[in-house]
Amino acid sequence: MPALSTALTRRQFLRRSSVATAALAAPTILPAHLFGQSAPSKKITVGVIGAGNIATGHLDTLLGFADSVRILAICDVDRERRESATARVNRTSGRNDCRAHADFRELNRRPDIDAVYICTPHHWHALIGIDAMRHGKDIYIEKPMTLTIAEGRALVTAAHRYARVVQHGTWQRSMKRFHDLVAFVRTGGLGKLDRIECPIGPNNRHVGATWEPEPVPAGLDWDMWLGPSPWRPYHSHGCHYNFRFIADHASGQITNLGAHCLDIGQWALDMDHSGPVEIEGHGDFPSSGLFTTATEIDVTFRYANGMSMRCFTQHEGGGNNSARFIGERGWLDIGYAKMSASDPNLLREMQTAGKRLALTASQNHYEDFFDAVRTRRRTIADAEVAHRTTTVCNLGTIAMTLGRKLRWDPVKETFTDDDMANRLCRRALRSPWSVA
Amino acid sequence: MATSSSSLPANTPEATPIPKSYAKGIGTTPDPWERCAQLDYGGDRSFAWSVRQQVLRTPPAGRAKVERQLLATLATPDATPAGRAFLCQMLALVGSAQSVPALARLLLDPTATESARYALEAIPGPAADAALREALTALSADAKAGLIGSIAARRDPAARPALVALAAAATEPAIVRDAAARALAHLPPL
Repeated sequence: MPALSTALTRRQFLRRSSVATAALAAPTILPAHLFGQSAPSKKITVGVIGAGNIATGHLDTLLGFADSVRILAICDVDRERRESATARVNRTSGRNDCRAHADFRELNRRPDIDAVYICTPHHWHALIGIDAMRHGKDIYIEKPMTLTIAEGRALVTAAHRYARVVQHGTWQRSMKRFHDLVAFVRTGGLGKLDRIECPIGPNNRHVGATWEPEPVPAGLDWDMWLGPSPWRPYHSHGCHYNFRFIADHASGQITNLGAHCLDIGQWALDMDHSGPVEIEGHGDFPSSGLFTTATEIDVTFRYANGMSMRCFTQHEGGGNNSARFIGERGWLDIGYAKMSASDPNLLREMQTAGKRLALTASQNHYEDFFDAVRTRRRTIADAEVAHRTTTVCNLGTIAMTLGRKLRWDPVKETFTDDDMANRLCRRALRSPWSVA
Repeated sequence: MATSSSSLPANTPEATPIPKSYAKGIGTTPDPWERCAQLDYGGDRSFAWSVRQQVLRTPPAGRAKVERQLLATLATPDATPAGRAFLCQMLALVGSAQSVPALARLLLDPTATESARYALEAIPGPAADAALREALTALSADAKAGLIGSIAARRDPAARPALVALAAAATEPAIVRDAAARALAHLPPL
């Protein structure tokens, strides 16, 4: 198949995007409050909450924005991680003004911090995000925005209530190729669209059917790591990174990987304030062991306009977070690292489609967030958009859990005829935590 | 060719008797509904898995019976903490007013209060609301703050007077006062 291969890893993409980008839009008259203390030239002060795998990538990029960003705080419940990340920031900046925090509440209450990057396990996202916004912080929140559908709506409500800027970690929205793809699809570039397919990689961690609790490592606050999720004893395979595969903390690969391609599907279908009306799928769930999320998934989302979007596990050739759009004129398979099409001409047409539609564009996911913080405009992936994409992922998880076709009302945000499914839209939080 | 004992040839030997030592280990297959009360963190949870699948796949008409089975297992005197946590997770999916009395008692047991509250928060209806409100005078500190969070999630207007009092109570720790103050913003007026 014809392919244009730009073999960028995610980190390479983020690094290249941090270099000076296209010129800003035409001059805009800025409100007076943006001068002085809040002048655009003032650096945005940032705290990073969660200093693990994803945060490392963010720090790589944020440290490259030395002219516009100051990282003043790192928070992690693992002492080694927070001290190591703090030392790295201070070493790189040469200023020694970044402080380490063990408790996100301390960081969120600092008056000298403008925005926080939330890079914790998913079971913490809603609570930390709402707390941050309540205390005047704008937030960049990693995907999936929240663990449950109810938490998502609570976060959107909080963003409105506290008038805060939110950027979701669905950074593909700031890549030209996806902007072009969406414009191309929406303006009929593929002819009548038949369906969307989102293949995602399989689980990349595996554990046995039983496990023995282990002593908590020195320096790790296990109670705080668990936070609002139900208590269980510590095991090294059930903590850093691997939380992705434990349903009390995350939802497996459908959110870990699927969130990116399902987000592009939602965008292309113009469903950023809505969602599917029917969901049906199958998941293979482990019957024993520490991991509880599906190891194989295959779920289809159907929309009121007749369109369908399928997300499924692909063992070979995954890892591109691609979305494949199939229509009358052929297909386009667009991922962050590779692009391919049924016809190279379709790809060429797609790459010039950006101007066909007045679609909000972003050239750089970080700069889009920083500019929104300064001007108080919406980001390319704001709270409502983030919630709708995350909801698609969570709907898929619920459908796979129950193993039956479900009907969803995207206006009321309830299942129309399944009480059990509705109960799975929310979860009680472990004391003393609450998203209220 | 179908066979039955009556059609076996006349010289068919008797079945070899099972040795007594082997027969000792043979018993009935453990009932997963009973075994899940003894669930341990880290142990084989496949029997709990089979109960879970049955619960998830039970149509609405059958859920009252499933609920009674879960309650019967929950009443097992030697149920483990992990077992009660699992059973309460299941009751969160199918529980009704039928489950409230048992869960209300567990809500006051420090070793089971969290699990019971997870189930009560999910069960619709005034009985669950009342059980959560009544526990406000029994729980304290972190557990009370979590309880207030459940009340806020359920948006129970009848809890307003109690939460107003808690938000202003100098005898309550900050975590309770803060939780009550935030919860009030989520309750509809009485």
